[in-house]
Amino acid sequence: MICVAQKRRAQVQREAVGVQALACSEGTLKRELQHAGPDQPSLGSFGAARTGAPRSVLARKRALVARAMLADCRFCAHDCRVNRLAGEKGLCHAGAEARFFSAQTEVSDELELIPTFAVALSGCDLRCDFCITGASSWNPRAGAGFDAQTMAARAKAALRDGARTIMVLGGEPTIHLPAALEFVSRLPETAKLIWKTNAHGSAPARELLDGMFDIWLADFKFSNDACAQRLAKVPDYVRVVQENLRWAAGHSELIVRHLLMPGHVECCWQPVAEWLAANLPGVKVNLRSGFWPAWQAARHGELRQRVLKSESDRATALAREFNLNLIP
Amino acid sequence: MKKRPAEKRCESSGESQVSELLILPDGQVLVHNLTPTFAGLLAGLNPDCEQIASRVTHYESHHHELPN
Repeated sequence: MICVAQKRRAQVQREAVGVQALACSEGTLKRELQHAGPDQPSLGSFGAARTGAPRSVLARKRALVARAMLADCRFCAHDCRVNRLAGEKGLCHAGAEARFFSAQTEVSDELELIPTFAVALSGCDLRCDFCITGASSWNPRAGAGFDAQTMAARAKAALRDGARTIMVLGGEPTIHLPAALEFVSRLPETAKLIWKTNAHGSAPARELLDGMFDIWLADFKFSNDACAQRLAKVPDYVRVVQENLRWAAGHSELIVRHLLMPGHVECCWQPVAEWLAANLPGVKVNLRSGFWPAWQAARHGELRQRVLKSESDRATALAREFNLNLIP
Repeated sequence: MKKRPAEKRCESSGESQVSELLILPDGQVLVHNLTPTFAGLLAGLNPDCEQIASRVTHYESHHHELPN
């Protein structure tokens, strides 16, 4: 666990070794986009097309920026500010090099996205006790070392073999932005890319991601900080997620996922549905009812069972009540 | 003094290719990380499951064999 002393040590160490963490301010990236030049080929619907620069070029440059930012890691809202390049570990425990625990074509995501070549990076900044892939998602050392070039070759082969999209997920991919961006830089400009995220990223992370992915597939798991703290050990969850969802809706296509959990229809799903209806009307929503008590869910009494049919029916009725745009 | 092997113990050897499956007493099947092959198998076991069938259909409509 990170502590104040560790943060202070990180700051001292950064100064001592003279690491120049590249500031990822709004101005920095705007300049970067301008330098990318207006004469590059158009990218169709990609956000990067607004700048005229190929996505791959921007991604390569941003991967370098992201790599330098590991010296003062602020990729997620925990804002640990540890020097991952020097071996320090923040709350996610991730080092400087990404690993992955799964890379395969899958058909279990939203119908409009499948078949998708899904690359799951190891490690996460949240600690959801009910995580279906908890063993690998909580452990950034799980799986194999991630090589962007090799993985891009596999992704391209999957596309040739009928995959419609490429999905980068975790764990949580935000904590591995350098690897994710390098991966993007090696993918075809026309590939439809999906960023599957817990929506707990920071503003600097969002800036690096702007225009890189066609679709944000983002979780909105809890609608109150008490449930978030108890079940995922994350403070200030609701504000951060809402901020990310608003941003994502304005910068890419957005699909919001909510995993319906037993005993959390009224406290979590209903307010989520209400907020989405009020703040992101028309946004695509996937209400997932296939919860099962995985990983360490048994730590919590209400999560030792499946979602009751009555709860599932109630959740669907709420979605209709709030006129949500549910997708399968 | 024996050195603790904590780092090595947590590191696995490689990626896994898996689908997680839960079959309930009522016959309902829940699955995560569903691969096309596994979806085909499940569709064969329970052709009446629309959720699985729709995924198989989606896959088959996009999949095409690479030329030899």
